[in-house]
Amino acid sequence: MRRTDAADPDKMESSGAGSLSIIRSTPNDDAGAGAGFEIYIAIDANGQVFAYNGHVDLGTGIRTALTQIVAEELDVALDRVTMVLGDTTKTPNQGPTIASETIQITAVPLRNAAAKARHYLLARAAEQLDQPLDSLSIEDGLIRAQNNHSVSYAELVAGNTVRLELRDDVTLKDVNSYKLVGRAIPRLEIPAMTTGEMIYVHDVRVPGMLHGRVVRPPYAGVDAGDFVGTSLIAVDESSVADIPGLIAVVRIGDFVGVVTDREENAIRAAAQLKVTWKPTPTLPDLKDIATALRANPSTPRVLRDTGGVDDALANAATPMPRTYVWPYHIHGSIGPSCSVADYSDDGLRVWTGSQNPHNLRADLAKLMALPEARIDVIRLEAAGCYGRNGADDVSADAALLSRAVGRPVRVQLTREQEHAWDPKGTGQLMEVNGGLDANGEPAAYDFATRYPSNAAPTLALLLTGAVPPVAATLQMGDRTAIPPYDYQAMRIVAHDMAPIVRASWFRGVSALPNTFAHESYIDELATEANVDPVEYRLRYLKDERAAKLVRDVAERAKWEPRPTWTPKDADGDVVRGRGFAYAVYVHGPFPGKAAAWSAWVADVAVNKATGDVAVTHVTVGQDSGLVINPDGVRHQIHGNVIQSTSRALMEEVTFEPSAVASREWGGYPIITFPEVPTIDVVIVERQDQPPLGVGESASVPSAAAIANAIFDATGVRFRELPFTPDRIRAGLLAAEQKTKSASPLKKRGLLAGLATFCTAVVGLIVAASPWRPAIAPIAPPDVATYSAATIARGAQLAALGDCAVCHTAEGGIVNAGGRALETPFGTVIATNITPDVETGIGAWSYPAFERAMRQGIHRDGRHLYPAFPYNHFAKTSEADLQALYAYLMAQPAVRQTNPETRLPFPLNLRPLLAGWNLLFHSPAAFAADPTKSEVWNRGAYLVEGLGHCGACHTPRNALGAEKASLKLAGGTAEGWTAPPLTSLSHAPIPWSEQELFTYLRSGISQFHGVAAGPMAPVVKELTALPDSDIRAMATYLASFTSNAPSHAAQQAMAVRLETVTSAKPLEASQQGARIYDGACAVCHEPGGPQWFGSRPSLALNSNLHGASPDNLARVIVEGITKPVNGELGAMPGFADSLNDQQLTELIRYLRTRFAPDKPAWNGIDTALRAARGVAR
Amino acid sequence: MTDDPIRLTVNGTGHSIAAAADTPLLYILRNDLELNGPKYGCGLGECGACTVIVDGVAARSCVLPLSACAGRSITTLEGLGSRERPDPLQAAFVKHQAAQCGYCLNGMIMTAKALLLRNPHPSEQEIKQALRYNLCRCGTHVEILAAVMTAAGHHIARDHATGDAADATH
Repeated sequence: MRRTDAADPDKMESSGAGSLSIIRSTPNDDAGAGAGFEIYIAIDANGQVFAYNGHVDLGTGIRTALTQIVAEELDVALDRVTMVLGDTTKTPNQGPTIASETIQITAVPLRNAAAKARHYLLARAAEQLDQPLDSLSIEDGLIRAQNNHSVSYAELVAGNTVRLELRDDVTLKDVNSYKLVGRAIPRLEIPAMTTGEMIYVHDVRVPGMLHGRVVRPPYAGVDAGDFVGTSLIAVDESSVADIPGLIAVVRIGDFVGVVTDREENAIRAAAQLKVTWKPTPTLPDLKDIATALRANPSTPRVLRDTGGVDDALANAATPMPRTYVWPYHIHGSIGPSCSVADYSDDGLRVWTGSQNPHNLRADLAKLMALPEARIDVIRLEAAGCYGRNGADDVSADAALLSRAVGRPVRVQLTREQEHAWDPKGTGQLMEVNGGLDANGEPAAYDFATRYPSNAAPTLALLLTGAVPPVAATLQMGDRTAIPPYDYQAMRIVAHDMAPIVRASWFRGVSALPNTFAHESYIDELATEANVDPVEYRLRYLKDERAAKLVRDVAERAKWEPRPTWTPKDADGDVVRGRGFAYAVYVHGPFPGKAAAWSAWVADVAVNKATGDVAVTHVTVGQDSGLVINPDGVRHQIHGNVIQSTSRALMEEVTFEPSAVASREWGGYPIITFPEVPTIDVVIVERQDQPPLGVGESASVPSAAAIANAIFDATGVRFRELPFTPDRIRAGLLAAEQKTKSASPLKKRGLLAGLATFCTAVVGLIVAASPWRPAIAPIAPPDVATYSAATIARGAQLAALGDCAVCHTAEGGIVNAGGRALETPFGTVIATNITPDVETGIGAWSYPAFERAMRQGIHRDGRHLYPAFPYNHFAKTSEADLQALYAYLMAQPAVRQTNPETRLPFPLNLRPLLAGWNLLFHSPAAFAADPTKSEVWNRGAYLVEGLGHCGACHTPRNALGAEKASLKLAGGTAEGWTAPPLTSLSHAPIPWSEQELFTYLRSGISQFHGVAAGPMAPVVKELTALPDSDIRAMATYLASFTSNAPSHAAQQAMAVRLETVTSAKPLEASQQGARIYDGACAVCHEPGGPQWFGSRPSLALNSNLHGASPDNLARVIVEGITKPVNGELGAMPGFADSLNDQQLTELIRYLRTRFAPDKPAWNGIDTALRAARGVAR
Repeated sequence: MTDDPIRLTVNGTGHSIAAAADTPLLYILRNDLELNGPKYGCGLGECGACTVIVDGVAARSCVLPLSACAGRSITTLEGLGSRERPDPLQAAFVKHQAAQCGYCLNGMIMTAKALLLRNPHPSEQEIKQALRYNLCRCGTHVEILAAVMTAAGHHIARDHATGDAADATH
């Protein structure tokens, strides 16, 4: 499948205008079209240069650097060169863009090709100008002789189609004559990135494109085992029947996807689709990585064994066995992967952000059973990937969905999918046995490393069964496994092993963990030998370039020798220290190739009380050989320092029993602006040496340098990442031989009141007069008899009574019923109250309506369930009921039959309700209290009558009746706690009349929070009422609270509460704290950035101070997606992003921090179960 | 259910959008208005890649329902300036080469722009605090900070890591 554009070399050649191509013949071309060769450079008849490289730009700036190399070698201006990267129909297959090898390795043939073209053009020019070759000079593609005659590349190319074979022995330009290479050329893409004009793969739109989402299996992040691809039981397509624009539900093996017209519909469909899966096996416990990796089957591979290690160990004066543990990491692309695929009879075209377009094409060929020649993979820029992320997975997903619907489909992975399924940077275990001899020299270095990771097959291949889910064992744990030091006795063993969870390469691959061990260990040796760690390294570092770098960096950092550890002066609880580490990143199959050398001095500040570690400053040096673009190198160094600092300090994937648990940034925090160290970069000038890869090297010393600095600050060695506050605190405490017994959380048994209910229900069989007559149907009344003013008043009353809130189904027509109301007694289906004669209340006379409102009797004589709050409505005045009737009858009739309410026996026996009414219902109208003000009485009428506040806010007895003695003392509504409105309120700041007014009017009180859950639609409906009525309600409700504080007093209380709770309490859940920081603080941290919408203060929030965690659990799980009004903004739900364990820790943290004077909650698990039950 | 069309102004142009009222603004901007500046990053308001400015204030468009935008004025990255006529903040990002993959850039620029709108000369600490909930994975923080500092009127030499040391006690 070919595309033709200016960069198409075939088109250039076939046009006949002339072209010069530098090619390399390939023995077995499988690219399909055209002859067996790959093209590196093509110059067209306009003198435009096209350069082709099989690698891609992952945000590192290699497009610019490669352009510099080509332009330099060809002596043309930069803008004459177009770089074509990673395009399967055009570029050579140079493998995946990995191991920092673009500049160091894949640019070599490109440079040679440019040189070849230059030589050819010079030779042609010498002929044409009839001048000696060595007398010619070139400036921007114009070759000039000393007689000032000249000829351009365009003229030389025009009219002839020339193909030259690339040779590796071509003479290159002298480095000293470089004009472009070595200069800080601004990156070509950045201006477009700053204005939104840059087209990422996420931004591809093609005609007729649909939107897809995939639904992944429950074994998130696991890709081997016979359950992979075979766990799907059923897909219930009817569960998404109501999704507008649904095109298809696709299932192939364990691959499930949906396709719709609009993206938001695809999101809804994927969330709503009911899929049943088989249970999946549990994983080894990855909280204990060392044990899990030791138990994982492996094959030892001895990489080096010299100097008689066993004897040396036996004779060591100071044996020092050490174990270093590296956690699982996520690549963490900021943009979850995305792709567009277009499958047609012609073949498959895929727009991708893949790191390896050619490998992806091979995968797609296998998946779709298509020859590679019919697959066109177009690579666009994507969010940085730093290794193998979900880019290939989503491309295969898009291909499957496009084939299923026969149209182009764009698939966007969710944040949760990218986090969970991204092939992880694996956990790694490094064990060192060694020690010092009697002279303080290293006695031996017996190193074993375990790296359970492979190439992570593209997911769709596994899910559809196209390849068997058998974990391959690759030999990739050996990167930089050989330490850089000249240890006399050395045994290096890589225990090759298959992955435990889906894992693949991540920046620094196995070299970063291996170096963590090497560089921590030599520091430990130096300390033990009482020698300065830099000096100790230099004793055994035989590589002169390395030694120079180490000396340069130490000097730049003003390193002062520290031969013996001494306690540091503390500034309060804070101690400071600095650590050194060095590495040359050796990558590729063993023994591998070395990329740039790198060395770090890290400065840290450790708070011994909290365990917080700040990396305050990093001096980082690098010897990269010839620097193509100093800006590019410097920025890569910055990026490596910041990212690897983040990995060392805070990153760690957590697991559920059978899947990855970290699915968003709260569960997997990364570094933020205030935490970024200042960075001082030292570039060692080596313009005479070949250029080396710089994409990863500066990451490699990071963890060890930081660990060594923490040791320097505290005197305690940390050999397991990440250096989180809890780990540091625990380590420091352990070092002080202190033990602190954590009090285990008491779990209270689940208390269900069901038994009580059942017993009570039997008492209902005290039937009084259970049968009531029907009231004859009427023809719908002529609404013209009601004045517009009456109907308008009725509209207000309907809003006050929240008629539409209960009688409108989710996304349904107003008042047409169908909403399922969860009650403690079962699900009650709201009825149609539009004036439709057959399915609504069109045949109801006013007396029938009034009887229903006052007595809870249907027109046909049936008892209505008291979910319909007729006990309140009964208090409504005759005039108001008339107006309400008029309004309802004036609305459009909607024919809609809703399901019948079917409560379980004996509640299905409606006549029993007669007994209930006898016991609990008084149909008396409202009677004013002459001792109270008019406003108070107005409020009482609204609150107790149509407003029916007590229906939720008054506790109910076992038979579901409001307890008269506990009016407004707090109840429940649809699984939410309806807080007490009396002096029993849990709110930390008592409600005042003014705050009640503000809250009911706007949906927010600065001293309490926002209206959420069932209260949000109530406040929304109240907008129909005038201020005077809201004021009256506030007056009445405030009369239940004695001594409400003044506004100034409330303000003062708020300040005090926010101050008291401003710090993270030490005893609070650390995991909960991290989730709060990553997921909640953005909107809820007092004093945080300003955002559109409200920022409810959690210290003041009634829900945080309540007796139960129910409302908090509900809000976090469901979010507040339908705020009272737009001004308040919205809150996302975290049901699919955080699991129960994470939510529990978060809720514990929130309670401890924001309601410090309240006891810890029991029953968080029950609250979460309830919240999830209704959320989905 | 088809909701009534919602009217809003984006980059100075009025639009009437017929879509479900609870659709996050992000999808309207990207799919209906074909604006590529705002990016999907997390859908939870955590990372900031989707940031736009609503009535002068930064907003995370991935969690902002269309219904909340009725009658409001929205500015996206495209509305700040173009390559030919960039906003000074955009120009500062180019000057400091403040991008690696560039995916987070929309959020960085829009959040910083909102900060500068209410405080034209923020201090370095204020900038760091304003951007602390905008995530960057490439580690471009140094260059981004330099760009915003420049736009805030500080004199910043190119490519010098700036700033006070982070403090373990905060």
